Amino acid sequence: MKTVKIAGGQGFYGDSPNAAVQIAKAKGADYIVHDALAELTLSILQKDKLQDASLGYARDIELLATSLYPLAYANGIKIVSNSGGLNPVGAAKKVAAILAGQGIKGYRIAVVTGDDMLPQLKSIQDAGILLENLDSGKPFSENKYEVLQSNVYTGAKSIADALAQGANLVLAGRVADPCLTLGVLVHHFGWKIGEGLSQQDLDRLASGIAVGHLLECGGQASGGNSYAEWPMNYSLSNLAYPIAEVAEDGSVVFSILEGQGGKMSRNTLREQLIYEIHDPANYITPDVIVDLTRVKIEDIGPNRVRFAGAKGKSRPGKLKLTIGLMEGYMSEQFFFFSWPYAYEKTQRFIETAKEIWSKLPLNMERFEFQLVGLNGIHGAAAPMPPKEILDELNEIGVRVVIKHNDNRTGKMALQSLFCLGLNGPPGLIGMPGWGKQDKVVLSLWPSLIPRNWVEEKTEMVEV
Amino acid sequence: MKLIDIASARSGDKNNVCNIGVMARKPEHYAILKEKVTAEKVKAHFGELIKGKIERYEWDAIESLNFVCYQALDGGASRSLRMDTLGKNFASHLLRMEIEI
Repeated sequence: MKTVKIAGGQGFYGDSPNAAVQIAKAKGADYIVHDALAELTLSILQKDKLQDASLGYARDIELLATSLYPLAYANGIKIVSNSGGLNPVGAAKKVAAILAGQGIKGYRIAVVTGDDMLPQLKSIQDAGILLENLDSGKPFSENKYEVLQSNVYTGAKSIADALAQGANLVLAGRVADPCLTLGVLVHHFGWKIGEGLSQQDLDRLASGIAVGHLLECGGQASGGNSYAEWPMNYSLSNLAYPIAEVAEDGSVVFSILEGQGGKMSRNTLREQLIYEIHDPANYITPDVIVDLTRVKIEDIGPNRVRFAGAKGKSRPGKLKLTIGLMEGYMSEQFFFFSWPYAYEKTQRFIETAKEIWSKLPLNMERFEFQLVGLNGIHGAAAPMPPKEILDELNEIGVRVVIKHNDNRTGKMALQSLFCLGLNGPPGLIGMPGWGKQDKVVLSLWPSLIPRNWVEEKTEMVEV
Repeated sequence: MKLIDIASARSGDKNNVCNIGVMARKPEHYAILKEKVTAEKVKAHFGELIKGKIERYEWDAIESLNFVCYQALDGGASRSLRMDTLGKNFASHLLRMEIEI
């Protein structure tokens, strides 16, 4: 049976290109998919774009354009990515210029757009669509913050179209993470997509989504970030990323390149399967709703795992829309204390800080003092050690973190504590340069819109 | 014993929702997970960290339980004041839970 190899090349904006470069060198895949957009990434990219209208894409493509892209091109491997972010056209122009500078010719970059709903946000609301917040249920009319961006999660079809037009590289906007992979499969095998599909068609799409989900976090499927494989008896510095060999009927074998670190096993795949899934019987994507409850994952050889059994249901009538909002500011700073009385000194420091702040005109929404080494990560849920251990701790950090409504409060609040270096509990260590002052807080308003509002577009930039 | 003796876990975020996947280390451990690791126990173990409800899904095909925890991430990664903004260590904290057999 006809098969195609797809590798997960990048798990987030800023991930190492090392594993993907090795896959491209070894011709270990026909396609490499790069998921660059976590939930919050578009808002981060919007900050770039506000400073410089030519930005707004995942800027690591500039590095990839001098490393992975030319190598993959030479070896006949296509790259599919949502690194275009908020500005896929700008991204394509940038990559084209970098590739042209290396003397590369005949390279086709497909730009997939249509996810940007900001221009239509008002008409959508005027049409009576309430854009209720998926978490709180509130209609968007109750939002009180400035809107920065609004993008809809789109599906696989535009990716398939782009590849059909001969793209060597697809730079999309907010295509849903697993749909990058599904788009490759729809193109490669001519799978049907859309409405009125048979159960067999839907099951194939479901399998494609499952593969996409398992590839989209790169090394997390091949032994990275793994409690299942702890103590991780393999190299982490050269971790291999997952490669899926998918057959025309949707069955899959996962593997990794030989000679690298990492591991491919039922265990590593299982822990990626469950990652960021809610109801396993209803994993909702733009193209198909996937039932993952009957999957079969089997070890079939060293670093080889067979995956099958994803079932599909018709695609949803609505698509997920996220609206990025400007919600205020945050500031943070770290302070440290050592033995003796480390714990008691942190408590005195915190008490004094609160007294100082109570006398200042600070526009704070809320603040926290966290004890790094004791409860910095788990907060109130962390069990505190008994007093005799607290009294003997070598050192404790205090993280001061403040959410505030203007861009002055953070600086004022943190500066007001620096005098405690001389006036406070003995031996305070301040860490100049460690903190953040008046950093913009972006938040997301998740919601749904009927899919007929969305029209994707594919265009080609040639080098 | 602790949950870590019979299970591994991985957690991640979707806005203010955190899911914690708990995977039996051996197939025979799965029945213990299903009996002992209830949504109520998980909620109590996390205390103030999880403000909303917890839904538990049984995932027999991979001998795993999936806990979907609402209002769990201090408003979501972007606005959270926590160090673990993405809830990646919710898995770690759950593995510390005591299991009585």
